[in-house]
Amino acid sequence: MVLLKQRQEFAFSYLYDHYSASLFSVIVSIVPDKELSNDILQEVFVKIWRQIETYDAAKGKLFTWMLNVARNTSIDAVRSKNYQQSQQNRELTETVYGAGGSTHTNTDNIGLRKIVHKLKEEYRVLVELSYFQGFTQDEISRMLEIPLGTVKTRMRTALIQLKQVIKP
Amino acid sequence: MDIKAYIQSGIIESYVLGLTSAEESAEVESLQLQFPEVWEAISEFSQLLENKAFENAITPPENVKAKIMAAIKDEKSQAPVITLASDTHKHVSANVFNLWRMVAAASVILFMVSAALNFYLYNRYSQKNEAYQALLTERNTLQANNQIFQTHLSEWQKAAEVMTDPAMAVIKMPGTPGKENHLATVYWNTKNKDVYVMPNRLPQPVKGKQFQLWALVDGKPVDAGVLDPACEGVCKMKNIPKAQAFAITLEKAGGSPTPTMEQMYVLGKV
Repeated sequence: MVLLKQRQEFAFSYLYDHYSASLFSVIVSIVPDKELSNDILQEVFVKIWRQIETYDAAKGKLFTWMLNVARNTSIDAVRSKNYQQSQQNRELTETVYGAGGSTHTNTDNIGLRKIVHKLKEEYRVLVELSYFQGFTQDEISRMLEIPLGTVKTRMRTALIQLKQVIKP
Repeated sequence: MDIKAYIQSGIIESYVLGLTSAEESAEVESLQLQFPEVWEAISEFSQLLENKAFENAITPPENVKAKIMAAIKDEKSQAPVITLASDTHKHVSANVFNLWRMVAAASVILFMVSAALNFYLYNRYSQKNEAYQALLTERNTLQANNQIFQTHLSEWQKAAEVMTDPAMAVIKMPGTPGKENHLATVYWNTKNKDVYVMPNRLPQPVKGKQFQLWALVDGKPVDAGVLDPACEGVCKMKNIPKAQAFAITLEKAGGSPTPTMEQMYVLGKV
């Protein structure tokens, strides 16, 4: 039994070594706070360890699954009440004491999020709101005051465009 | 369904990025089972995404890994990372172990019941076997007895034939004075002169002695043979062509050339 667990931990360790950086960039592109993004990475890998049984190889690649865990965890963290409050506090402090800076990353320039900027504005917005901020199409429709149908079709086109952009 | 159009609609990318609704996801998953092109499209975009993520990778701080490994050690879940088989195996092993314990317990009980049953059945068998043996012995005895009866019967049948043969002359031989209660009968075939004697009422001779039959021919006694104690019914004696009377005396075993007159038991005139 112990040996089995050791083998699993070894495999998991390899998983971390191989994929942590890729996942971390997605986390960082959503979570500006450096300290928090470290914690999120930790939380993400613990989740992967726990939920690995739910990964169905018939449905897609392991990385795709892990990426989704990372994205959702990051978005949840950013949306959490605690975070919102601490952000407000931070902004307040910054305003009073000047630019904070080092603990905060400009997420817009990270990885995929940076690439998304290459899209046409109407497409960029949709990808931003849905992928990086986790809003549903329904919510987006209301936020942008666009019919739901338009959101759907436009989103699809946006992603096709995105694919074209990330193709080598 | 126009699969090509479907693949080009952007739904695949949406699915891979995790942006599809539950129904949309189910639709994609169902179609990818049916259409290899759908699966290929999913694979292709997934790989693209992974490559891009790799290109933009940011190495996390060193200490994070240690924290993670420490955190999972506390986790109760034994989920393996790459293969699912080992966890189910462990689960199955635990179950199999319990199952074996149950089987062991059940088999012990079964064995005890079986042993008790065997003991009981063996006892029954023993008893039956004894009874059977007894029965066999009885049968053998009965068979032997039957044999004896059969022999007796055939001998008496012969005797009956002799006695009822019309060619037979029947000569009764009553007991001599002093031995009145004795009786014997001679059956003399008038045609072939065969002589048969029936010792109706003669005592069992003592050891070393035997009864002997005499035919009285012209005043002289002629040996007609000794009575075989084994013979039942009528006993065949010597052939006597002519006689006026018959008598039986008790002689020594094997007979005597001349009769011992004092030992005459029965006498009968022709």
